[in-house]
Order: sequence, then structure tokens, then C-alpha cells
Amino acid sequence: MKRSLRLLLAVAVLFVASGYSAAQSSPSVEFNAANAGPRSVEDLTSQTVPRDYAFAWQNLSQALDENRPGLLDAYFTGFAKSSLEQRIKQQAQSGLHVRYTDHGHKLNVLFYSPNGDLMQIEDDAQLEMQILDGGKVIQSQPLHVRFMVLMTPGADRWMVRDLESTPAPRSGE
Amino acid sequence: MRTVITWLLCSLAAAMPATAAELHAPKDIAAGTDFSITVNGDSHGTFYLIGPATAEKRSVENGSEISIPGTDIEKAGNYQAILCSDECVSTEFYVHAAEADRLSLLVHPSRVPVATTNAISAVAIALDRFHNIVFSHAQVDFSVNSNNGSSASHAQPTNRGIAWIRLTSAAKASSAKISAAVGDTTETRVVEQVASEACNLHIKSYWEANHLVVQTDPVRDCSGNNVPDGTVVSFTKTDRSGKTTVDAPIKKGIAKAEMPVVGNARISVASGVVLGNELNVGGAR
Repeated sequence: MKRSLRLLLAVAVLFVASGYSAAQSSPSVEFNAANAGPRSVEDLTSQTVPRDYAFAWQNLSQALDENRPGLLDAYFTGFAKSSLEQRIKQQAQSGLHVRYTDHGHKLNVLFYSPNGDLMQIEDDAQLEMQILDGGKVIQSQPLHVRFMVLMTPGADRWMVRDLESTPAPRSGE
Repeated sequence: MRTVITWLLCSLAAAMPATAAELHAPKDIAAGTDFSITVNGDSHGTFYLIGPATAEKRSVENGSEISIPGTDIEKAGNYQAILCSDECVSTEFYVHAAEADRLSLLVHPSRVPVATTNAISAVAIALDRFHNIVFSHAQVDFSVNSNNGSSASHAQPTNRGIAWIRLTSAAKASSAKISAAVGDTTETRVVEQVASEACNLHIKSYWEANHLVVQTDPVRDCSGNNVPDGTVVSFTKTDRSGKTTVDAPIKKGIAKAEMPVVGNARISVASGVVLGNELNVGGAR
């Protein structure tokens, strides 16, 4: 009887863990480097940038939901990191948290510096945002946001250095 | 009859929900400026402001406006203003960057061989005083000043906040100060323009205490600049005992190596991909 209960508990834990992992999985990212210049984006960079940007959003969503600024360390740096840290600090102070459901990002490289040390990307993101005060949802809405992103290479990955939303796309865009 | 009508009107009024407030934000808001959100209706409740670096919650009393201090909107981007009493109403607004006031300047590389086409790149990012990227056009003035007195300048407008140039390094080894200016702000980086590969590498030899000493003439590049000390020169000796290579760094412009020689030997010299002359020498004395 005890054994069956343990087994049931283990299955339940696995089920919950898999659900949690799915909720926090990295979003889909499409990457277009056809318009990049003045430098062409290398094949390897074309794979690593969208991968790292997806991880960055995965960490960002979790950090904003759980008010854990430490999660930003892996993929954010510079002003992007300091701004988000400030927001999370204020969220925690106010008892707020923000939950994103990420429906994907379309990245379009606009600028890749001659030395390969800076990439400017436009991100067309489809998100759903819930703002919660404690456990109460005070705002829930779908968002179509354009971000202007600056990424720079780190030791083994590309880091988000600046993440700035641009004016909301007009209807039909 | 009048009593009945009054009673009906009162009942109707009581049954109707209170009119929800509406929030209206200005359309054009610059980062760091104070402004107010207009409230049409009951403004009593809890006010939330969520933005790129902001998550604020405060109580508001009845009034037609909610004041937002500039310190709450220093980061450019989309903001959500929400007012909750019995129910929540919201509005979105966009805060754009203030005037270009700062620059982030990336110059690469920090050392560059002389006379190399498009070897130096300078990328300037226009920022406001809150470090937001200024997407509207701004003029960046690039200038280059070498310590040998030469200078050049070029104005370049930003495109989505970024302006960049490529430069060819000077023919003479020197330090170059590369500056970018926007408004009253100037950022400067220094690039060392150093000698290129050795050119016309030439060696000579002489005997010293039964050892053959091989040394280069002063090592210079094709523009006549001294190749930096520490640059490795390889001397290769081929004689009866086989092939031996000695690597020697340039010191005070010259590279030197001692080699034991058995019988006749051929000695060659190279630095990087540049080959020098060859010497044929006789056996040890």
C-alpha cells in the first residue's frame, strides 16, 4: 500500500514537473539575417543568436513571474539587465508579478557591425501578458510588440544588451 | 403617479452599475518628463504603472488627474496604466527617448597594422541622458587625430540610433584618437597603428667564440616603420647534423641568434609569412 502511494506520488511529481517545464520552455524564434549589414551574419551566428535570444526570453518570463532578478544574469547585460532588475525589484516591493505567455518572436537583423561585436535586431513578438497583484489578475491582454534589441557576444553566448519596445504597431501591420 | 415615477427612476439608477472611469494618457511623452493621466469618472482606487523599468502601485483619491513624475518613466518603451476600484480600467502609452545626449562608442581593433584598408571600425550608438537609444535621426561627428598631426572628420547621421564608419590606417606608425560627438558630448578611443609585416628581411653572420652569430638588419615594414620589439624572427640552419630552427624576438629593432655549425651550412630567416635572404657559411673555426 505504502509502495503504491510512493509510486503515485512520484508519478504526480513527474507530471507537475513536466507541466512546469513546458510552461517555462523557450519560445519559438524565427531568424532572418537577409537584411543584415554591413557584415554578413555567419552560419554559426545564425544558429546561436536565435537560440540565445529564446533562452533570454525564457529566463525573462520566469524572472518577471517569480520576481527573481538573478535569472537575468545568464543572458542579459548592460542597460537591459539593470532596467529589468529595477522593474523586478519594484514588482517585489509592490507585491506584483507579470506572467507572459510567449507565442513567438520574429527576428530581423538590421545591423551587424563590421567587427561582429554588435547586432541590432528588430523583434516582432506575440505575447499574452497578465499583471497580477498577489494572486489577483488585474490586467490580461494579448500583445503584439516590436522590440529593438542590441545583442553582443559574450564568452560562449550572445547577450541581450538593450531591449526597448518601439511604438505599438498600427492595426493591420 | 409622481411618486411611482420617482420610485421607478430611483430603482433604475440603483440598478445601473456605476460608470467605469476612463484613463487617457498624452500621445507624445518624452522619457523623464512629468505628465498626468486624465481620469473621466471616479478615480478613487489603486493605481498601477507597469513599464520597462517600473512596477508601481499606489492609492489614488478622487480627482480628474493622476500625476506621474518623470522619474517613473525614465526608460523608453510601452507602459500600462491601470486603475482598479470595483473593476479595473487601463490605458497604454509610449514613452520615447529624450534628446540625444550621450554616446556609446565601439572602436575596433585597438592595435592595427599601418596602411591597411578599412581596418578600423567605429560604431556609435546615440543615447539620451537615461541611456535610452535615440531612434530619431541624430548627427554623429566622427574625427580622427594622429599624434603625427594629421586629422580628418566625417559627419554621419544615425540610422535607428546607430552610426558607423570604417577607416584605413595611416602609413606611419602612430597613435590615432578616434572621437565621436553628438551635441556637447564627445567620446574618444585610442587605436595604436603599428608596423605591418617585416619587409626586405635581411640577415648577416659573424663568428664569436666558435659560435656562428646570425643577426638581422633593423627589421622594418614596407613603409619604413620599425617592426615592434617582441615580434618573433625564425632562423633556420641546415647542415650535416640536420635542420634546426631558432626563434628569436626582436630587441631594439634587431633579432639575433647563436648557432653551432658542423661543416657547411645554409641559414635562412623568416618572420610570419615573410622570408628573408639565405646565407651559406663554412664550418666552425
